[in-house]
Amino acid sequence: MNPILEVKNLSVVYESSGFNALQAVDHVSFALEAGEFVGLVGESGSGKSTLGLAITRLQKSPARTNGGEIFFRGKDIRELDAETLRQQRQGGFAMVLQSGMNALNPVRTIRNHFIDIFRAHGHVGKSGWDARQIDLMEKVGLPKETLARFPGELSGGMRQRVSIALALSLEPQLMVFDEPTTALDVLVQQAIMDTIKSLQKSEGFTAVLVSHDLGVVLESTQRVLVMHEGRIVEDAPSRDILENPQDEYTRMLLSHYADPRAEVVELPGFPDRARRDTGAAARTSGATARDGRSSDSAIVVDHVSKVYPPPRRGEQAVTAVDDVSFTLEPGQSLALVGASGSGKSTIAKLITGIEKPTAGTVTFGQLDVAQLGRRQIRELHKNVQMIFQDPYSALNPLHTVEYTLTRPVVNFGGLRGPAARKRVLELLETVGLAPVEQFAAKLPHQLSGGQRQRVVIARALASNPQVLIADEPVSMLDVSLRAGVLALLEDLREQWGVSMLYITHDLLSARLVTDNIMVLNGGRVVERGNTAQVLQHPEDEYTIRLLDAVPNPARARGAAV
Amino acid sequence: MVYVLRRIGFFLLTLWAAVTLNFLLPRMMPGSPTDAAIAKLAQNGPVTDATRKAIEAQLGVPDGNILEQYFGYLHQVLTLDFGVSYTFYPQSVSEMIWQAFPYTIVLVGFVTIIAFILGTLIGVLTAWKRNTWLDALPTLSGSFASTFPYFWTALLLLFFAGYVLHLFPTSGAFGPTATPAFTWDFFMDVLYHAALPALTILITSLGGWIIGMRNAMINTLGDDYVTFAEANGLKGRTVAIRYAARNAILPNLTGFGLALGGVVGGSVLVEQVFGYPGIGYLLFNAVIGQDYPLMQALFLMITVSVLIANFLVDIMYGVLDPRTRR
Amino acid sequence: MTTTQNISTAAPGVTKPPRRFTFITRSTATLWANWKSRLGLIILACFILVAIFAPLLAPYGASQDGFERNADASAAHWFGTTAAGEDVLSQLIYGSQISVAVGFIAGLLSTIVAMVIGLSWGYIRGFGADVINFIVNLFLVIPGLPLMIVIAAYLQNGGLVMIVAVIVITGWAWGARVLRAQTQTLRSRDFVTAARFSGEPAWRIVFKEILPNMTSIIAGGFFGAATSAILAEAGLEFLGLGDSSIVSWGTILYWAQNSNALLTGQWILLFAPGLCIALLALSLTLINFGVDAISNPRLREGKSR
Repeated sequence: MNPILEVKNLSVVYESSGFNALQAVDHVSFALEAGEFVGLVGESGSGKSTLGLAITRLQKSPARTNGGEIFFRGKDIRELDAETLRQQRQGGFAMVLQSGMNALNPVRTIRNHFIDIFRAHGHVGKSGWDARQIDLMEKVGLPKETLARFPGELSGGMRQRVSIALALSLEPQLMVFDEPTTALDVLVQQAIMDTIKSLQKSEGFTAVLVSHDLGVVLESTQRVLVMHEGRIVEDAPSRDILENPQDEYTRMLLSHYADPRAEVVELPGFPDRARRDTGAAARTSGATARDGRSSDSAIVVDHVSKVYPPPRRGEQAVTAVDDVSFTLEPGQSLALVGASGSGKSTIAKLITGIEKPTAGTVTFGQLDVAQLGRRQIRELHKNVQMIFQDPYSALNPLHTVEYTLTRPVVNFGGLRGPAARKRVLELLETVGLAPVEQFAAKLPHQLSGGQRQRVVIARALASNPQVLIADEPVSMLDVSLRAGVLALLEDLREQWGVSMLYITHDLLSARLVTDNIMVLNGGRVVERGNTAQVLQHPEDEYTIRLLDAVPNPARARGAAV
Repeated sequence: MVYVLRRIGFFLLTLWAAVTLNFLLPRMMPGSPTDAAIAKLAQNGPVTDATRKAIEAQLGVPDGNILEQYFGYLHQVLTLDFGVSYTFYPQSVSEMIWQAFPYTIVLVGFVTIIAFILGTLIGVLTAWKRNTWLDALPTLSGSFASTFPYFWTALLLLFFAGYVLHLFPTSGAFGPTATPAFTWDFFMDVLYHAALPALTILITSLGGWIIGMRNAMINTLGDDYVTFAEANGLKGRTVAIRYAARNAILPNLTGFGLALGGVVGGSVLVEQVFGYPGIGYLLFNAVIGQDYPLMQALFLMITVSVLIANFLVDIMYGVLDPRTRR
Repeated sequence: MTTTQNISTAAPGVTKPPRRFTFITRSTATLWANWKSRLGLIILACFILVAIFAPLLAPYGASQDGFERNADASAAHWFGTTAAGEDVLSQLIYGSQISVAVGFIAGLLSTIVAMVIGLSWGYIRGFGADVINFIVNLFLVIPGLPLMIVIAAYLQNGGLVMIVAVIVITGWAWGARVLRAQTQTLRSRDFVTAARFSGEPAWRIVFKEILPNMTSIIAGGFFGAATSAILAEAGLEFLGLGDSSIVSWGTILYWAQNSNALLTGQWILLFAPGLCIALLALSLTLINFGVDAISNPRLREGKSR
């Protein structure tokens, strides 16, 4: 049987003036059989998206193919002229983009998007347009009324479904999905992946799923190509990858997956909590021992609600947080989990005084957070610090690491000159950025994502706080970097005795670094308790759905057996 | 609907602010222009008490407290009674304005719309053919021409096309022998006289619209929906027009509304150079003759026209962007 | 800033990166790499040099008269003489001083006003922001030149100071609007929130965190404001609404028109000053092509699609 797509020694280079050329894809060869569902996995910068764009001839300047051949149904598509290529897109290869949310023209209705495609290729007679559109919308699970809508009126998940329906309307033999669920909410991600899987089966197209998440890929595909630094390091059936990975890099990626429901959960450098000799009591005493802080500086959230005014006139007010109560004891670590819109980030804002609650009170020790003046807010921030989600946005691109860290040291520690610098270097040491003096002099763009996040953590520690609020601290990092940052947080908590509110949608990381857990849905607490307990024996249906959404290669093994 | 109401609200509010600004402006200025004005008026004949009152009300000579003056002024504005012109005594200011207004509306309004449409189309072309000569030529010559001072372009055209080559008349809105009437001959005569001023405005404003649309469209060409449209094999022209240009027109339209004031300002200079009897020429003469009532009424007139044009642009934006319809 | 400096002196052997310096060299390099802005920089430099060394370059004094009137170009007077018997070339050279100075000062002042209003507008919320929004929009739609003409008419012959003041009053709104949009984008970035958590006072957040990230937009605003200031100054002088006794490109044209240069056929008198204004304005516009490319990577020169 002839392969539908055959890539031979393909290389793609990025060339822009003033920068060094970057060989993003480096002599890559592989072939796809018709009807296969293949995953293309790699971390950021591995060249997987570049490869995805190259095989659909969508790459744009400054990317350029500088070697190799791409045969689609036996023809080298690199040779095609613009018009043949355009015609090829119907009944040939189609692409669903990474940011499907923005892939639709904001001033055209969904119906017009379909009509544009039908007009361009003429493969559907005008009389068949309506029936065809309705049929396609049904296939991706959307009501036909959606056709009359503008993209701006749809949610992110719906827009991604529309993109899939549009690509499907081309009747492609090969579909490339480039990170189709990355920007979406956890639960939506899973639903979209399910749709893609069932469509691939029913329509019978060959599919390539480009993703950074080996878990997701192993769950859905039959064969996986693992990409690392522009090369394919492993190409094997999913089951073999899972059970018998050959390449070291693949093994490393795999080792970072675990089932949060399991009895024992371990990651590299991260032994299971139960096996560590660190009971909650020990940590609490550690905290008091440190500098005689009394335990009354707990954070107490008491029947707190937050209602935002309606986004537009005539719409309903938004209740972000609905009657939530909890106490974060000194030295404790508490996970706040939920999908986006569950109110977990709003709670962080209420605790840090950025927003004021509509009802109820938040207190830190003796301080009523909602009543604080400017000076007291400063005092609060000295003790309650924040770790941000996006390390690329949390550091000012123009300031050196040293400047960024010096500011809280000067403002809160009252240190000046050499003393301040000494403290900055200590902080860098603490978060494991050595050699410290070199890192102190660097600008954010000279650091990797993981290093940036360490700087963010160092900044949060600078004021010697009692509480850390970590808002999805690892969700923007590559899988292989997450464990390191989580382990750092865990170590700091134990050594420094700080308490931590860990906000996440990722139950695996919650299992690793927290003692207790609260599950939020629509601003309400639906389940709470000991983290290991709750995750092993979830009671609420929402918790179960969140658990099901955790990508888990092991489950793929179960399915395959 | 909410969008339209908001725009109407903003329009009324700016209208009120412009009228008030016009009221406050002479009152904020040092010295008393009233005496100079009355002295000037007296040269044309005796000044009646009523006229003196009118001037004083116009120029803010204390006559009752400031609030009373303000309401008196608002009444004048609402009844379009701006008093008597000094320089063209005894013609009323309103008469003067109504005579000049049609010329400017036709010249500036018409030419600006044509320039905008033309510039936008060329902008689409340059962005689509980026980094070819079809891009470089219009972009460079356009941005060069847009740095010409309006009056300079006007002077050059007047000198070469008017005085040296005698292709076009050198001043006025129609020839000395023509009589204003709704006839074909008169219409052609007016067109003939408007050609050079129109060409000036076209040359000087075109570049701005080209660059604005080009930049906006280069932005939308990088948007994901354009890439997706290409991935779906839409025809090049569909992608260029219905996807990239259709979205780029929105920021460009906003730019159009905001740049209108500049074009209207430039046309004041153009009318002066060509002796074209529109609002701008009248404003120039009012300033030279220190004809304060006329000057202020003209400024109000110009401002309100620009406000109305902006309001229309806003409404058009609302029609073109479905996101405002919610 | 002092603290950081202390630190580097206290710890010799540790080389701090020349942060600001790098940023400026990088921006200049980007500008220089763009051929449009490179051309603009060269033209601008020429005008500035001519303005500075005008007394050395000009063959005669700016208002030195007594030469033959309305003379055509000759060896003694390359560009001829005016109706008042002054040397045109000398007037052109001295005229550059006014345009360069007005462009620079008025551009700078409107940029400062735009910065103050744009930044605070982007930073505050609630009713205050609505009020500023209204005022800025009002100044945006009010036609600038007619307003200038009216104000200039009231302040009879206020001279250059008046012209600069009027240009600033009518010219700041556009910059304020652009800077506000950028401030709002930046203030939603986490590093601004993080600075609050680092105990930074509001003024420091604005000036040390937000402002330095808007350098290219501020520069673009400055060049834009300077361009319109130069054009507006020339326009007002041309109408005779400025100080007609000074020698500027606008007044040369004013006198040229008043002395019927159109009829006498002295086209150089009309052509040269306008060309100078256009070239100076063009140089700033060209520089802004490069500045735009710094703040908006999509506009960078690249291969065709």
